[in-house]
Amino acid sequence: MEKISYTCIVCPKSCKGELIVKDNNEFETSGYICKRGIEYAINEYRSPKRMLTTTVKMLNGTFSNLPVVSDNEVDKDKLFACLNYLYSTKLEAPIKEGDIIVANILNTGVNIIAARDMKIKS
Amino acid sequence: MKKLNIDLIIIGGGPAGMAAATQANDNGLEKVLIIERDCELGGILQQCIHDGFGLISFKERLTGGQYAQRYINQVEAKGIQVKLNTMVLEITSDKKVYAVNEEDGLLEISAKAIILAMGCRERTRAQVFINGARPAGVFTAGAVQRYINMEGFLPGKKAVILGSGDIGLIMARRMTLEGIKVEGVYEIMKTEGGLTRNIEQCLNDYGIVLNLSTTITKIHGNKRVEGVTVSQVDASMKPIEGTDRYIECDMVVLSVGLIPENELSKNVGIELDSLTKGPIVDENMMTSIPGVFAAGNVVAVFDLVDYVSQTGVIAAKGAMKYINGTLDLTNTYISVNSGENVSVLIPQKIRKSNLDNKQDFFLRVREENEKMKLETEWSDKLVQAGKFSMVKPPEMIHITLGEKELAQFTDEDICFHMRKES
Amino acid sequence: MLNHFYSLINENNELKKYEINAERTDQNVIHLSGEVDVWQHVIDIGHIAGSIKGIKGVVNHITAQNIKPQKKDNASLISGAKQIGIIDTMDVVIVGAGVIGTGIARELAKYDLKIALIEKNSDISEGTTKANNGMIHSGYDSKTGTLKAEMNVKGNAMYSKWAEELNFPFNRTGSFVAGFSEEDDEYLEMYYERGKANGVPGIEIISAQKAREFEPNLHHTITKLLWTPSAGYVEPYEVTEALAENAVDNGVSIMLSTEVLNIITKENNVQSVVTNKGIIQTSWVINAAGLYADEIAEMVGDCFYTIHPRRGTLVLFDKSNKGIIERFIGTPPKNFTKGGGPMQTPEGNPIWGPSAIEVPDKENVDVDQQDLDFIINKSAHLVEGISRQSVITFFSGLRACTYTEDFIIEASEKVKGFIHVSGIQSPGLASAPAIAQRVENIFIELNPSTGKKENFNPIREKPIHFRECTFKEKDELIKKDPKYAHVICRCETITEAEIIRAIRGKIPARTLDAVKRRTRAGMGRCQGGFCGPRVVEIISRELGIDPTEVTLKGNTSNVLISHSRK
Repeated sequence: MEKISYTCIVCPKSCKGELIVKDNNEFETSGYICKRGIEYAINEYRSPKRMLTTTVKMLNGTFSNLPVVSDNEVDKDKLFACLNYLYSTKLEAPIKEGDIIVANILNTGVNIIAARDMKIKS
Repeated sequence: MKKLNIDLIIIGGGPAGMAAATQANDNGLEKVLIIERDCELGGILQQCIHDGFGLISFKERLTGGQYAQRYINQVEAKGIQVKLNTMVLEITSDKKVYAVNEEDGLLEISAKAIILAMGCRERTRAQVFINGARPAGVFTAGAVQRYINMEGFLPGKKAVILGSGDIGLIMARRMTLEGIKVEGVYEIMKTEGGLTRNIEQCLNDYGIVLNLSTTITKIHGNKRVEGVTVSQVDASMKPIEGTDRYIECDMVVLSVGLIPENELSKNVGIELDSLTKGPIVDENMMTSIPGVFAAGNVVAVFDLVDYVSQTGVIAAKGAMKYINGTLDLTNTYISVNSGENVSVLIPQKIRKSNLDNKQDFFLRVREENEKMKLETEWSDKLVQAGKFSMVKPPEMIHITLGEKELAQFTDEDICFHMRKES
Repeated sequence: MLNHFYSLINENNELKKYEINAERTDQNVIHLSGEVDVWQHVIDIGHIAGSIKGIKGVVNHITAQNIKPQKKDNASLISGAKQIGIIDTMDVVIVGAGVIGTGIARELAKYDLKIALIEKNSDISEGTTKANNGMIHSGYDSKTGTLKAEMNVKGNAMYSKWAEELNFPFNRTGSFVAGFSEEDDEYLEMYYERGKANGVPGIEIISAQKAREFEPNLHHTITKLLWTPSAGYVEPYEVTEALAENAVDNGVSIMLSTEVLNIITKENNVQSVVTNKGIIQTSWVINAAGLYADEIAEMVGDCFYTIHPRRGTLVLFDKSNKGIIERFIGTPPKNFTKGGGPMQTPEGNPIWGPSAIEVPDKENVDVDQQDLDFIINKSAHLVEGISRQSVITFFSGLRACTYTEDFIIEASEKVKGFIHVSGIQSPGLASAPAIAQRVENIFIELNPSTGKKENFNPIREKPIHFRECTFKEKDELIKKDPKYAHVICRCETITEAEIIRAIRGKIPARTLDAVKRRTRAGMGRCQGGFCGPRVVEIISRELGIDPTEVTLKGNTSNVLISHSRK
């Protein structure tokens, strides 16, 4: 049996809970006030994931960079590889929020989408 | 000078202003105008590229830009009038707004009601009295955020962050992801200023150390920052001799708090609260000048954008009633007071005659504690208003009192207490 | 003379243990050498030498343990300059574009002279001038008979004309020295007598009750005050800007980022000035180099004074406090400086200070806790109603002091073509017009055939400040230039048009700090948090440089390091 504490990062409540991994590999948790916390703790144990947010270079946008976000969580250990991939990407305006910037980035099954509209620089 | 007549002017096109504008439009008000000084709507949200916004309003984890985009789309779809790149120079107590932009020149806009939604600004180095030289490389966290996220510049290579408020924590992660080495976060208080989830995902994920009860006592370097001296502080926050340490860095990032931006409010003579640094508002977010309302971070610094938008909605509804002449402006106010372990409290006063079937209150606690209950006290009556497994000063607490509770109000002042559950 | 010096050292318990070597030259200059424990003792010994009657100057080479002497090797730079060769020929080269150098340049611009004003920093006012509190002293506190006393009283009177011709804000409000006790009353009497002797107009001692009639927020513990109605205040960098613009209008060349590396003399005549930009031929050099005046004088072999920096810190408050006090309030002095106190800038920001601390380093403009504590504690005893929470910034500057603690304004006795304008510390700003006039007189006496320019124009037009305009004027400005409708600095209401004008101006503002001094953008309560990025963008666009090349205050003070994406 293993006992690990994880602080949930899903909402501002930031529940500090504990995950108990039983010998039969079943889980028990305490301290999380909703099911998102329980899910988070189990994920942290199995394979931690994080949302990815960064910016991508715009060639002709009203701003020089476009904020992007992953449409789902990415494996934590693939985060920097994904970022480096995005750092070398260049985009052209116009872009609509939700447009897919990179589909299935580095075979993670996660899409990177535009996090706002970007118009062409006048 | 160009003259315009508008029903409702909203000063500031951030989350509070946009929520107010869309609400007013939904209620059928036609002549609504948002005045925004930046080149686009969204306010500070546009530089907040991280996620975690909108959990209450949309039940989703949105980035700042995504949250803003939802409102921008609504403003556009409803055809609400917006003046961008427009700076308000003055407002008057008879609700005239003087503003300038390149297209219109000087504008005199007469309004039936005004909503102030100018947001807040960051506290600077001088306000926390950091000694030393004045080199390039000392930035507020918000300025760094704008440079990195919107304009595509890196303002340094090695950073020391002062203050553990949420913006400082978020920027620790952002800078790390952009290749800036973060040499540590230093916090003068004995507890962290930001949310625990941000300590977890912004610092712990990247091995960045948070040093509590420690502050920057000196900035070194004449041209560009060369380093800082940090020292531990005692209980009265004075540096402890012999604990100072030199850290080499080329950048100091300050996350030392936000102040509501109320220069326009002060100039027109709106009464401010010395604790929130924002206007004293009533149940409809109306300020001491009838017909002038305030919403969002101009009233008090909120921790969640959802609350900011909610106050915009309340202010818009109030402004509608004011314009329609259905708001009681004559009855005396009941004062709403902070009691045990309550600091900031909004609204600060209410008119019983104006209450609908529910009333929102926003408050912060003074000290962190577990297993607490919020009690509302008036006359000799106590009513339980909510239970909390944990309360912390950085988190704004939002409660809504329903018809049942409100029915018990007398004409006496109300007091909120955050007490230990017995 | 030297015996007297040694006996004074031996009378001092802290100093008598040191082995100090003192030598006297035939010019009555004392040269000191030796080593002491702490910097303050270097200063104390220098001051003892400087206090001896009949002394012309003190050259102090005493070192303190742990403090390395600052010696810059210019050899490679000089050889670089020689490679560039002669770049221009001038009649007069003025070294240093602070308020003193620009004042002299503007005064001499009346004559048919080819003048270059050269400055090592990237902007005018970058040295001592920018960190001055703007006080135009009335002249009661300099010892009667000193050059300081004479220049101060004369200079003060000349400010009205300067302000009128050059169109900078000048408020002649008067100033106080506050007394709290009978002991203080004796000081007030002494100041009164001295002020009378120095020729300070309207000086009197008044009751606190009378003073409160026009300055109501004087601290309640004050009992009596010295009142000098002639004192006033300016923004020192605005005065310098106005002088520099008018000098340029009248033909003076201002060369920024130009550092003097050497001065070439031949048979004791000035020949040329070697700078990092090349060699400028000239037969006259006027040394207004402030903290570095001793080093410039050394280049012609006529250094009879050592400059020791005395740091002063100022604390600036939000202008929402405007009008709480309008006049400077001083107290009896400490050490060798005036006791700084609270006052108000022409814009309406309370400004407190300065402190006075001797520092060995000519570039050390740190603010230390001791400076802040001194200023805040002191001023809090003089004025009521200004909260510490409304501080918007604090900063330090260095006064360029000699050990004789008086101004040195004279032609060199050793080298023809060299004028010393050195040791200009407080009240240098107040004295500036008189100093400029005195230098003019010295120069003309030595060059009597110098002709006057026919078309000298003493007027510098008033710059446009959008924030000060009426709504009607604002409307008209915007019609002429829509950039007036683009407010960049929210706190001070500074428009893009004003910033562009500063960058394209007669003395182009090329750094964030220069733009700030010209326009006030970034001077407000957010201290450039919002407008900083916008100003960087405008400077980069106007100068055609990459934003990463924009600096805060010249070389290596870049605001941004790199682009985040290629």
